[in-house]
Amino acid sequence: MHYNSVIEEKLAVSTSIIACVFDGGVALGADSRTSSGVFITNRVADKLTKITDNIYCCRSGSAADTQAISDIVSYHLAFQKAETGEEPSVATAAAVFQELCYNHREQLTAGIIVAGYDKVKGGQVYNIPLGGMCVEKKCAMGGAGSTYVYGYMDSNFKENMTEQEVKKFILHLLALAMSRDGSSGGVVNICIIDGQGPPRKEFYIGDQIPKYGI
Amino acid sequence: MSILAYNGSAVIAMKGKDCVAIASDLRFGIQGQTVSTNFEKIFEMGPHLYIGLPGLTTDTFTVLNKLKFRANMFELKEDRKIAPDVFLSMVSNLLYERRFGPFFVEPIIAGLKPKTFEPFIASMDLLGCPNKPEDFVVAGTASEQLYGMCEALWEPDLSPEDLFETISQALVNACDRDALSGWGASVYIIEKDKVTHRRIKTRMD
Amino acid sequence: MAGVLATERTLPGFSFENCKRNSTLLQQGFKPPTAQKTGTTIVGIVYRDGVILGADTRATEGSTVADKNCSKIHFLADNIYCCGAGTAADTEMTTMTIMSQLELHRLNTGRPVRVSTAKQLLKQLLFRYQGHIGAALVVGGVDVTGPLLYSIHPHGSSECLPFTTMGSGSLAAMTVLESSWKPDLTEEEGKVIVRNAIAAGIFNDLGSGSNVDVCIIRKGSVDYIRPFDIANLKGQKQNNYRFRRGTTGVLSTRIIPLVTESEEIKKTEVESMDTSA
Repeated sequence: MHYNSVIEEKLAVSTSIIACVFDGGVALGADSRTSSGVFITNRVADKLTKITDNIYCCRSGSAADTQAISDIVSYHLAFQKAETGEEPSVATAAAVFQELCYNHREQLTAGIIVAGYDKVKGGQVYNIPLGGMCVEKKCAMGGAGSTYVYGYMDSNFKENMTEQEVKKFILHLLALAMSRDGSSGGVVNICIIDGQGPPRKEFYIGDQIPKYGI
Repeated sequence: MSILAYNGSAVIAMKGKDCVAIASDLRFGIQGQTVSTNFEKIFEMGPHLYIGLPGLTTDTFTVLNKLKFRANMFELKEDRKIAPDVFLSMVSNLLYERRFGPFFVEPIIAGLKPKTFEPFIASMDLLGCPNKPEDFVVAGTASEQLYGMCEALWEPDLSPEDLFETISQALVNACDRDALSGWGASVYIIEKDKVTHRRIKTRMD
Repeated sequence: MAGVLATERTLPGFSFENCKRNSTLLQQGFKPPTAQKTGTTIVGIVYRDGVILGADTRATEGSTVADKNCSKIHFLADNIYCCGAGTAADTEMTTMTIMSQLELHRLNTGRPVRVSTAKQLLKQLLFRYQGHIGAALVVGGVDVTGPLLYSIHPHGSSECLPFTTMGSGSLAAMTVLESSWKPDLTEEEGKVIVRNAIAAGIFNDLGSGSNVDVCIIRKGSVDYIRPFDIANLKGQKQNNYRFRRGTTGVLSTRIIPLVTESEEIKKTEVESMDTSA
């Protein structure tokens, strides 16, 4: 007899995540649900994880795997920064993520979007899905909820949006994904990285999240 | 069938007033076939320290030998007898080393602490998680029956004589409802100045 | 492995000696016995001046109650405690391992350890064993950054939350926390919420039971109250079930006398130290 079914299921960040470039930087967005089977273990999870001062990542897949990878990548980049004295580039961060995700692809369940700002190339987004491939995109989505909103993304994403436009785009996209996908939900987290000071994190709750009538 | 029920066993320990008791059945069987009726499962680890090792008999002996080795090394290194609580950690660590391939024993420790002669009993699961209750510990194939008997019979501050009756009756009656244990029983009453070892009369079927 | 005459050398870490034998036995239909589990309710909350941890006290082995009053709130450091749910041996041993590592870290750095250090060590250990070490933990403590509460899952993921619960009774406990937790609770309010959350687990989850243990960690002080509340008071025995002496048939008696060979009493006088000159 199992009394512990709740805690024995592997924690999954089954998610809706998005990151895209806009005029001046990158914007990341994510819902806040972490579940174990049908039980929501954390309804206010922060899936936008800091890697360096100007590089963040969106995590989807196994919570344990993605946290461990993020910790390892931040360690490597902090080490590089200490040795060279320069801010690591987003491309380097993505390459380290890919290295880990690809080499351990049999053991890992991790879909990661790396996004950030560096002086050389400005805002960049790299998508590293399950097998450990790495591809640079203008706009990337991930997680189970994203499948419901690919059409919305394709029809509404524009390059060179303003900060206000990109926030609205992400908020509406995640609201749509969260309303259709059972494994996504909670609040909407948005992070703006534009190299002008530290990244700005915002969250939208309750009535601040747009409702789409059915 | 559980591997713990391959040989069959019942071990129990109880706290009394300034004394502890540990008892076990004497059957050694291989599944249904009784091989021996004179098989002690309780071993002396020091003047005031006894351990019962119910479970798979091959592991009983392997664990016993490893423990004797470690306890002897402890005494050589420290120049003192091992205390029951220290011995508990030793057994616990030995078992947890085999976390992913355990020995099939559920040890029970009974003894008096050095200097204070305070009663000490403890049990462990097969992974070595210690359990130190205030009243009694049981293990083996008859453990469910023993739990029932002990919950009814045990009371605090029993004298050595009353503790003997209580532990014996708990064991004997529990084994009557377990086909895999019984066939004689052996009881140790550990006091400050002496240890009394009695073989008691039981059903032989 | 011991040689013929060479003594056994115990290597650090786990031993996998028995794995092959045990899987062979399993193939033959001999099931391994159930390990002790703490089908548990554990909770932790942050309140105004610190954190409060709570736990029930039942340990189970299958459907048998193996321990009616086990302690599930473990010590990690003077300012950090940790509730454990899952396989009892795993929670016990992982917390003990990390406790010693934290103490060494404290001695090396000369500072009180941080809660996030404890969290990181625990999650890295659990991640290394990929969920095979079945420990679900709630770590709480107070350090220079203030009160902190983490929950850590067996696969090695962690989250930092203002209130959290784990174990089989977590669903029941979470209902209480979700309805009554609010920011800036007083200690008295916090204790009541933790008690109620654990009691919800004790009464509604079969894997949880017996008493409520509570541990309050403030800046500079800790109150470990065990039991905080006896949720299930045992009835008094109405009769004496003692057997009359001589009921048991004795076949043989052997008395092993334990004679004290010598006794030496050393009196230690309080040494006075010469501080002059």
